[in-house]
Amino acid sequence: MDMEHVWLLPAIPVVIFAVIGLFGRLLPRGGDWLAILGMGAVTVLAALAIVDFQGDNIAVWSEEWMKISDGSRVVELIEISTYVDSITVVMLTAVTIVTLMVMVYSVGYMAGDSRYGWYFALLSFFAAAMLTLVVSGNLLMLYLAWEGVGLASYLLIGFWWEKQSAAEAAKKAFITTRIGDVGLLIGIILLWRGSGSFDIQEIIHHAESGGFDQTYLTITMLFLFAGAVGKSAQFPLHVWLPDAMEGPTPVSALIHAATMVVAGVYLVARMLPVFDTVLIARDVVLYTGLITAVMAASMALVTSDIKRVLAYSTVSQLGFMFVALGVGAVTAAMFHLLTHAFFKSLLFLGSGSVIHATEEQEVEQLGGLRRKMPATTITFTIGAIALAGIVPLAGFWSKDEILVAAQEGAPAIAYITLAATAVLTAVYSTRLVLLTFWGEPKNRSVHEHAHESPPVMVIPLLILTALAVVSGFVALDGVGEALGFAGGIGEVVYEGAHGHAYALNETVAIGATIASLFGIGLGFIYWWGCAARAEAARNWAPELHALLVNRYYIDHLYQATIDRVILGLSGVVGWFDRRVINETGVDGSAQGLGYFGLRLKFLQTGRIPNYALAMAVGVIAIALVAFGTN
Amino acid sequence: MSDLNFDYALLIPEFILVGTAILIIMADLFRKELGLGRLVLPAIAALGTIAAGAASLAYIDDVDDFANVIAIDNYTTFFRVLFTVVLLVVVVSGYEYVERNIRHTGEFYALLLLSTVGAIYMAGARELLTAYISIELLSFSLYVAVSLAKTNPRSAEAGLKYVLLGGVASAMLLYGMSLIYGTAGSTQYSEIAAAFSGGTSEYGFALLLGLVLLIAGLGFKASAVPFHMWTPDAYEGAPLPITAYLSATSKAATFALLLRIFAGPLLPVIDQWQWMMATIAVMTMVGGNLIALQQTNIKRLLAYSSIGQVGYMLMAITTISDASASALLVHVAGYLITNLAVFSAVIAFHNRTGKEELDDFAGLAETNPYLAMVLTAGMFSLAGMPLLAGFVTKFILFQAAASGGYLWLATVAVIASTISLYYYLQVIRRMYLLEPARGESGRWRLSPAGYIATGTLTAGVFLVGIYAGPLFTVADRAARVLALS
Amino acid sequence: MSDGLSVELAHYLSVSGIIFGIGIAVALSKRNAIAVLMGIELMLNAVNLAFIAFARLGGNFEAAGGDPLAGHVFVVFVLTVAAAEAAVALALAVLVYRRRETVDLDRITLMRW
Repeated sequence: MDMEHVWLLPAIPVVIFAVIGLFGRLLPRGGDWLAILGMGAVTVLAALAIVDFQGDNIAVWSEEWMKISDGSRVVELIEISTYVDSITVVMLTAVTIVTLMVMVYSVGYMAGDSRYGWYFALLSFFAAAMLTLVVSGNLLMLYLAWEGVGLASYLLIGFWWEKQSAAEAAKKAFITTRIGDVGLLIGIILLWRGSGSFDIQEIIHHAESGGFDQTYLTITMLFLFAGAVGKSAQFPLHVWLPDAMEGPTPVSALIHAATMVVAGVYLVARMLPVFDTVLIARDVVLYTGLITAVMAASMALVTSDIKRVLAYSTVSQLGFMFVALGVGAVTAAMFHLLTHAFFKSLLFLGSGSVIHATEEQEVEQLGGLRRKMPATTITFTIGAIALAGIVPLAGFWSKDEILVAAQEGAPAIAYITLAATAVLTAVYSTRLVLLTFWGEPKNRSVHEHAHESPPVMVIPLLILTALAVVSGFVALDGVGEALGFAGGIGEVVYEGAHGHAYALNETVAIGATIASLFGIGLGFIYWWGCAARAEAARNWAPELHALLVNRYYIDHLYQATIDRVILGLSGVVGWFDRRVINETGVDGSAQGLGYFGLRLKFLQTGRIPNYALAMAVGVIAIALVAFGTN
Repeated sequence: MSDLNFDYALLIPEFILVGTAILIIMADLFRKELGLGRLVLPAIAALGTIAAGAASLAYIDDVDDFANVIAIDNYTTFFRVLFTVVLLVVVVSGYEYVERNIRHTGEFYALLLLSTVGAIYMAGARELLTAYISIELLSFSLYVAVSLAKTNPRSAEAGLKYVLLGGVASAMLLYGMSLIYGTAGSTQYSEIAAAFSGGTSEYGFALLLGLVLLIAGLGFKASAVPFHMWTPDAYEGAPLPITAYLSATSKAATFALLLRIFAGPLLPVIDQWQWMMATIAVMTMVGGNLIALQQTNIKRLLAYSSIGQVGYMLMAITTISDASASALLVHVAGYLITNLAVFSAVIAFHNRTGKEELDDFAGLAETNPYLAMVLTAGMFSLAGMPLLAGFVTKFILFQAAASGGYLWLATVAVIASTISLYYYLQVIRRMYLLEPARGESGRWRLSPAGYIATGTLTAGVFLVGIYAGPLFTVADRAARVLALS
Repeated sequence: MSDGLSVELAHYLSVSGIIFGIGIAVALSKRNAIAVLMGIELMLNAVNLAFIAFARLGGNFEAAGGDPLAGHVFVVFVLTVAAAEAAVALALAVLVYRRRETVDLDRITLMRW
């Protein structure tokens, strides 16, 4: 397929979304086959495109979308445009393969659900939005797709909206990411204002030629980064992702591990040349990623819900990617994004298999599943090892890249923290595997009816396992060349000034491997068997444990802030209206006080004279403004 | 006054509207004698409206300014078409409601038709007196229309509140106009502009006072904070179709007038009014959206939501330029479509259930998924979600403000619009999350008219959201009349 | 006479302003719908006075190719509209009175908040 026609990729799922959404009830099996066939076609097309892609043939296609003109002059021309370079190629690979796998898997997982067809319609919609996001060549289109994936995520997290917690989680995810989105929108408008264009390449060009004011650009990039922080669940907006686990597990694998949450990484990677022109902004990226990585990894240690552990792990790994971006290593970040997409979706689908079989997701209730679910156990364990970063699995290569980059580009303290986080990663991966699959069953009745999942779920697991094993090898020159990229991963991901051919740094690699093995060893020490040592450790530092279990009290803090500030603010408006306008101004008799005093939120008295008085006050106010400004 | 050879054909749409109104009143008088069915009056109204709309389309690009009294140009035509569409929607989606809740249906339709004429001439006025008379034609029709639900005590109260406060506002507006007349020496826009471009220092105080009162008076009609207090009460008390009409035509007409005045005769004195306008824009955006958070009645919620929208539109007036004028027209059109979609759905809901509290919408996704979908699309569009009309139009509007050097104002608008998402989600949450009330879990359908109205409007919301190009072109051509540089 | 508003005009405008102020005060302070309506009528009459004063004595008119007639015409229309307004408002007041047996605006508060 020609690169010029990548717009076909999102177009196919959009059509399928419309067809299933409108006529799903009439189609056999709710139209799931249609969604899978469509996604299969997209995957094949994307694969053809990727094979056709050489590191240097950046493809651009554009078409007029809307035009604002005054008389003869075109004031603003907004185009639908696609832009494909190596970053896009990596994203396309991850998105298409994982989406296809998740769709196939969902046939088993969602079987018998009352809104089965609608689920596949939503998945198609998500795929369309995600692919649009990835191929779009201008920020406006990117923003549309950005909101589109957010909407899909909202609908899918709340897919079982009958459950109160699911609906609440959907709302939380939506509003939290929207906070970031506001930043993104402001950032986009600021970039447009400074450069006069929405086109990403033009903006980069404008920035590199020094067209922006430094301070202005720094603020702008921070706003833009806020969007990435929201979407990629970075500190301090990470709170929504663990709650988002209320959605169906395949959705978590797709949206909240492999694709949507990496949109922030993608955005920063895409805009990195602009970040490069203002160094403070990049430091913010670096330290945000670092704090998030440590924090989330530590929370993963104590979480008992299997999916939430994986969610924190995702947050932490995204932190790794941002660290890589913060030191300017796009290659490492995108590489890790790719491998992470495979092994993390594998882990999520594996956990889905467990949940499907046992209807239980608390590790305290699981254990000993290895005999009942051998395939799941093996695939999940391989995924966990890949996550821990043991050679030669995928996670090893990409994490190594990030560590090398951090060693070269970041202060020592950051590098050490990151390495420590890698140890933590190994610890919680081990813990999760041990508690779920090994040891003795902790809950007999759960264990009784556990069973291996049907083939339609196991086969995607196997394919993803294979990818989790081999996807790291693209880094090697030989493999890279065989796939058509002469320069290995450096060429796959990023050509130009920042790219470099992959070179294994032996010291770092050996050090990291030892660290990971150490972490795995720690995991075994604490959680092997009856986990008595873990119990002891918990009792040794109960405050620390409470801090972690309560997620550093961040969620509490936000709730309190929302309660106090937002409601307080509207209370102040109400108070002003009530006291100043109603009582002081009109109702000196205070007759209304007792009646209205109870009702903090009521703003309107219902009385015409009060309304008229408000108007008079308004006239005086704007008159003051008028005379004050003249 | 010497030459009265104007192109009177340009006024045919209004002739049709007024003629239809008279015809309806006559038909209503002799309803029993003629044995007219209950569908006849709305049918006449709808046909007259369609005829007027079609007639306006016939005069695109024709211009006559009737000795500087009323200009019929693309700007007027833009609003003419818009207002006839609104009228048609209100008639079609509201006739069942009217049949049930209003005793004298003839008056209802006649008043709507007449007020639309007022609204059109508000957009077309090129002279203060004409502007004033048009405003009052619209307002008086609405004062009466608001109080038409004679079985509902709230309706009469809403009418009384509206007329008394409207009277105060009219007096302020008139005083402002008199001061502007006094300082400029004329009531014609073109001559006011000429007088003001020659310098205004002599009349600094009188002019400023005039501007203050003019903005206050028009702010009332547009329901800008703090002149908005009548809005929620009038919305709540009015019959639902009138509420829809208030939120649509009445708002849009006020902005048509505001834009003509502030982009024309008052443009030379922009330094004097810009900060005032910015102040009420901010108060309106923030106030409207904050108070909306606390509402429990769908009409009042939509009232405050529309106040918030007014804030965004006032921002466009503040940052007046060719881009923001055109953006304002786009936003007004997008807002009308979205708001009417929501109101059509609410009317259809009320026809079935007779209720209008937010809690009554619980479980609508179960009892009527279609209507829930329409409301969700409408609410998301009002909140400014992409792929829906609200996003595109708001984006263009905010962008125009930002590029006009009012970044802080655009930022406030973005924040206010984020706040608004919360209360829109409250409605959506109730529909999808909560169980329907006991004994009301059965599925139900809309009337055919309900399906047509909501379906068309929802399609419009998506169309504008996805492919807004044609709307931009039309708005551009309309805004060009204002000849801003 | 030569610069700014002439003395005579200023006098007229002062009276007009005072009447307008009294009108606003009445409209704001009275609790009776009819009395509020009277306040509004006062405000409108102040407007009429201002229009006539400007039309007769406005200093700026010759310079701007002024149009004194417009002011007179305005007054005629304002009078007409004021009459219409009184009719509508009184009708609505009667409508409310029939139902509630009061036109005390502090008690007509079915709708609030």
